[in-house]
Amino acid sequence: MALAFGVLFVVLVLGALVAPLWASTVADRDPNRTNETGKIEVDGRQVDVVSLEGVPIGPQWRGEYFLGADANGRDVMVRLLYGARNSLLIGLAAALLTTILATIVGLVAGYFGRWVDAVARSTLDVIWAFPVILLGVALGTSLAVGGLQIGPFELEAGSMAISILVIAVVYVPYMARPIRGEVLALREREFVEAARAQGAGPLRTMVGELLPNLTSTIIVFAPLMVANAILLEAALSFLGVGVVPPDPSWGNMIDAGVDKLVTAPHLAIAPGLMLVLTVLALNVFGDGVRDAFDPRSSAAWGTRRP
Amino acid sequence: MTATRSSLTALALALATTVAIGCGGSSDGDQASAGKQGGSITIAQGSQPDSLDPALAYTSNSWEPLWLVYTPPLTYRRAEGAEGAELIPGAATALPNVSADGRTYSFKIRKGLKYSDGSPVAADDFEHAVKRVLNLESGGTYLFEGIEGATQYIEAGDAEGDIGGITADDRTGEVTIELTAADGGFSNVLATTFAGLVPADTPFENMTKDPPPGVGPYAIVKSVPNREFVMEKVPGFDIPDIPKGNVDTITTEIVKSASRQAQDVIAGDLDYMQDAPPNDLAAEIKARHSDRYKEWPTLSVNYFFLNQALPPFDDKQVREAVNVAIDSTAIARILGGRLSGTCSLVPTGIPGHAELDPCPFGDPNGPGDKAKAEQMIKDAGATGEKVTVYANNDPTRPEIGQYYTALLNDIGLDADLKVIDGAVYFSTIGNQKTKAQTGLASWYADFPHPSTFLQQVDGTTIQPTNNGNYGNVDDPQINKEIAALLPEPDLQAVANRWSALDERVVEESYIAPYGSEELTTFLSDRMDFENCSTVHPLYGNDYSSFCLK
Repeated sequence: MALAFGVLFVVLVLGALVAPLWASTVADRDPNRTNETGKIEVDGRQVDVVSLEGVPIGPQWRGEYFLGADANGRDVMVRLLYGARNSLLIGLAAALLTTILATIVGLVAGYFGRWVDAVARSTLDVIWAFPVILLGVALGTSLAVGGLQIGPFELEAGSMAISILVIAVVYVPYMARPIRGEVLALREREFVEAARAQGAGPLRTMVGELLPNLTSTIIVFAPLMVANAILLEAALSFLGVGVVPPDPSWGNMIDAGVDKLVTAPHLAIAPGLMLVLTVLALNVFGDGVRDAFDPRSSAAWGTRRP
Repeated sequence: MTATRSSLTALALALATTVAIGCGGSSDGDQASAGKQGGSITIAQGSQPDSLDPALAYTSNSWEPLWLVYTPPLTYRRAEGAEGAELIPGAATALPNVSADGRTYSFKIRKGLKYSDGSPVAADDFEHAVKRVLNLESGGTYLFEGIEGATQYIEAGDAEGDIGGITADDRTGEVTIELTAADGGFSNVLATTFAGLVPADTPFENMTKDPPPGVGPYAIVKSVPNREFVMEKVPGFDIPDIPKGNVDTITTEIVKSASRQAQDVIAGDLDYMQDAPPNDLAAEIKARHSDRYKEWPTLSVNYFFLNQALPPFDDKQVREAVNVAIDSTAIARILGGRLSGTCSLVPTGIPGHAELDPCPFGDPNGPGDKAKAEQMIKDAGATGEKVTVYANNDPTRPEIGQYYTALLNDIGLDADLKVIDGAVYFSTIGNQKTKAQTGLASWYADFPHPSTFLQQVDGTTIQPTNNGNYGNVDDPQINKEIAALLPEPDLQAVANRWSALDERVVEESYIAPYGSEELTTFLSDRMDFENCSTVHPLYGNDYSSFCLK
């Protein structure tokens, strides 16, 4: 089952990768190219892509306008695929950044303990205290206006990197805390003591001894982090602080479709379905990975009650 | 006024297409008796009004409700069509006496007039209201800068200072205003919400959270920004020709989604929606609820502002290219067909409108010429120039912003879109620090005069904040001619000169107009639509006419 959903996720990623191919050869449309007054041939007659009353055409189930058009006459299928690129890119990049930050924080806090741990834990608690979406919206809104500049490091307002950074920071406590707990247990083990006795410094101990033993925890968390990041990106874009239109993402496509549920339900359903499939695939795959790395969990699930 | 939605019916069109009916239609001053009295209604706006302070409010989102709360010395007859453009006394006893040279206006405040909190109105309160407009750098500042001493008051920066040109006698109620030069439209200025009387102790700060008492049939008794504000009928309010209102309480909720607003009006959970129903539900509403839905034309202009102070729009050829490329029929579809294409700034129906046939940029109701525009951008050497397009998040505006962004990209510019919340949109693009290059704007007449439109391209109105001249247009020829025409008391006599100004705006491509939007009235089933839904030509739906069945 996990493998099947893992394959499904890979297919979704491949679909996103071939977006330009679909756009140029099948749909012959750019994702942001508007076409409010255009016409297409349906059953031998010319039909408005967007009617005079502002209602976009529905799915045609063929090359051009495969999944219909949006209010600006853009091809929903093309935008869905390009939206997948943005959503998956942000999800994967944010999850990677979360993993790196959480691993560093968890390792340092767990290994050094004392005041270092106290400071790290308090910081994580502060972030943890805010609901994820609220914190994401707050950070996203403030950075969306003026961008971010810390010394030479600069993120332009409205850039995708802002979304990646916000999502990554928001989820750090969710991964750093378990890693820290793992490190607290590991640092008392004999092999760590042995490394120290042989003169290994903190960096070498953390990287050479502790990090390899955290691999399974990190790998188990990674797919779930990707799923959560994609969901948060969709939520932020839905609320207007993620990917900035006209660039598509599943979140802002759902947002644009919500006000047209009666006459053009495909606008919200198509990206919504993609979001559900992606998150479902990642979660089931993540469960499979966890079972593979955690025999106790697997045994518990597989053991019948007497 | 800047608008997130409309307030002005085209006088000429309205005269032909609307019938003065029901509560607000008569002119006997006792219109309230025509509708059922009492009850509470809940209505909705798509975004928080820019302000609920009469000194700062300058969108139709705010003027529509504030008109019932802050009565200025003069006001407009509560009637539809051309009749509604007639000036009548408001807080003043009569229309002002104007001196022969057109520089001195005098009127008397009504005796015994009281604010909604019961405190008496003093003649001196008028000067305080004007001071607040000037001191708070309101978007309406330019309207009062012609008062003797107003400029000095602003420059002195002392809120409690004196405006030399305004004298008031609290004993007699007499107010005298000296202007630096004659202004043919100043009586209309005295009828704007900016001139609405407020007590003399009203602080010099934005009072949106706690709006000051005013003189009107309703008072704002609760204001929770971005959520709701509540207006209650003021007992004892009595000014001739101003209706006392029918319903007791009007609660305005801020509901972002037009779709939800429309569904709630259909279901009876809301009684009126200020936004137009979304295209998604418009067909159903027209088919099944036509007995409580109407569309009405507006004297308005929707346009893209082009900031002349910033590249690439400091180049006339680039501005022309934008005008050539615009396809108003595309935008009309985004608006569900509620748009008539236009070529000029002053809309049809206002004296001074320039009839440009043919329009130099092509048929305003036809497709644009993107290929020609692309070549013009190339010729101007502007290909690849970075442009940020500003739009607000009110219904249909993001889609129009996306259309415009794609259009600029199609003709060779490198455009990005920035969508800003409707509540702060106009103050954001009207702040010089924002350096807004281009974006969506619209204008609905403050009063039936071409100056209300042309002030958007009057260089003398440019200010650092709350700037209504979003494109920073500063053409000495236009500035000089507006200054020369403003004192003219007979508008019809100089209509041709106003038209010439309108034509110059088109020739220089100072803005990129795309049409006049039609607006809507949609009421719940429990409202008496037939007898109690007056659309005023300047202030839109008149809440004081609303009544329950």
